[in-house]
Amino acid sequence: MIVFDDIHKRFGPKLVLEGVSLTVAKGRILFIIGQSGVGKSVLVKHLVGLLRPDSGRVFLDGVDITDYSEKQFYPVRKRCAMVFQNSTLFDSMTLLDNVALPIRKHKRLRDKVARREALGKLALVGMENEALRYPADFGDGMRKKVAIARALTLDPEYVIFDEPTTGLDPISANIVDRMIRDLSDRLGVTSIVVSHDLKSIFSVADRIAMLYKGQIRLDGTPEAFRRSEDPVVQQFISGSPEGPMEV
Amino acid sequence: MTGVGADRSSGSTGSTGEGERADRPSRIADILASVGAPVFYVLSTVGDVFKTFGLAVYYTFRGKKRWDEVINQCYQIGNRSLVFITVVMAFLGMILIFQSGLQVKRITGDFSQMGAVYLPLLIRQFSPIIGALMIATRVGTGIAAEIGSMVVTEQVDALRMNATQPVKYLIVPRFIAGIFMTLVLVVYSTLVSFLAGMLTAHVYFEVPYDTFWDISLVRWADLLIGVTKTLCFGMAIPVVSGQAGLAAFGGSEGVGWATTAAVVNSSLAVIMLDFVVGGVGFMVFPTN
Ligand SMILES: Nc1ncnc2c1ncn2[C@@H]1O[C@H](COP(=O)(O)OP(=O)(O)O)[C@@H](O)[C@H]1O
Ligand SMILES: [Mg+2]
Repeated sequence: MIVFDDIHKRFGPKLVLEGVSLTVAKGRILFIIGQSGVGKSVLVKHLVGLLRPDSGRVFLDGVDITDYSEKQFYPVRKRCAMVFQNSTLFDSMTLLDNVALPIRKHKRLRDKVARREALGKLALVGMENEALRYPADFGDGMRKKVAIARALTLDPEYVIFDEPTTGLDPISANIVDRMIRDLSDRLGVTSIVVSHDLKSIFSVADRIAMLYKGQIRLDGTPEAFRRSEDPVVQQFISGSPEGPMEV
Repeated sequence: MTGVGADRSSGSTGSTGEGERADRPSRIADILASVGAPVFYVLSTVGDVFKTFGLAVYYTFRGKKRWDEVINQCYQIGNRSLVFITVVMAFLGMILIFQSGLQVKRITGDFSQMGAVYLPLLIRQFSPIIGALMIATRVGTGIAAEIGSMVVTEQVDALRMNATQPVKYLIVPRFIAGIFMTLVLVVYSTLVSFLAGMLTAHVYFEVPYDTFWDISLVRWADLLIGVTKTLCFGMAIPVVSGQAGLAAFGGSEGVGWATTAAVVNSSLAVIMLDFVVGGVGFMVFPTN
């Protein structure tokens, strides 16, 4: 279980998170939704120590990890993988080396063993035949799949997906959605998905939290969101240009 | 050691264009904020630079180095700055010798000491600082752009997720390569500038080559000061520029800011270090 407790975060003069409290239950898929720039990425990066809160606490399975050092976060990052918005494969490495990187770094395995494991993970996403090619050769959909394979190499308990379907064609987006669902159903992986893709939200999420003006506006099931009478929530899920939300 | 971070912060608060009719207290608060924010940014940047420097030194002596990357960086630094340095140092040599030659002609007409006086000046002062400033522009921007774009595309976050220290992985190879290549390039600068001066003296003032080529006035102290400066600059440029890259945020615009910050801050660092090392050098080895 993940608990964010009253997280505040500012960058210089800019207040981004103003008291965010949120709980993520084990084995479930939580979607964090909200407009671009509200701080969804900022929030999820607090879980793995890529950002530190100004105040507030972060708990992972009951352990307060807020004040961990960078080194102490390494095991946390092994358990909570992250698929970044930009895929962030390393351009200078082959797909295989990209996927093998976490195995090498976290498990400190020999090259040969690491590569064999990595190849297995690439096979999971159907990319094993392209293992020796470079990321630049592929489109966004395939790169995203490889990025997901890389995140799964260490068999994490938690996976953070930052806008996994943004910029993908509808078919790739569906494949990614299904992968997220499968991870949870078959392996019991807990997923936090940052998204504003309405289709993914309502087809995949077990629970949704909406971030608005630095706070959680609504936290509930997809059903609760559909029925919500909050104009802000309504405007977001209907995508209407008119409403209380400032664009 | 920073000007650019400060410009950006005050620029963004100032650009709202509001509050012209603000009542008194908030205007005072505005003024305090507009003074305070840049000071804060300068101090925090200086702090970050020293932190990065500490980490770079630490990881230079601890842990495995990416030697292939060090060699790659050496090549990049040399490749980026060789032509630039050659042209600038050659012109500098020609200009300095031509101008001082004109003065010598008017006053004493004795050209015999020209090369002998020029060389220590070049070793102790001109060559390290001009060379380093050029490396700061040419190489510093490259470092900030590379690292900055890795930051804004979250590749640096991805490194950290994979238990990799960004300073160790990205800055240390550039740090080692920077120290080595700055030394090489400054020695090369000295040579180019001296030879260009020698040629100029020969063509305009008919100074024989072997008269100009006179190393008798170069003291060990000049060499020591020159090399010390060069090593300091070689350490400062990759650290300051790398830190500017790591501090980047917000898309390609952020990378632009980072490269500008890298040039401004590493040039400032070079000038300040020159002043400090030069001053200490002068106190330890006073020129008679
Ligand atoms: N390192 C940083 N420095 C300064 N501002 C930042 C930084 N990271 C994010 N921000 C700001 O925080 C806000 C929230 O960003 P983000 O979490 O990326 O939004 P999103 O909800 O689209 O993921 C943005 O306005 C962004 O400019
Ligand atoms: Mg985001």
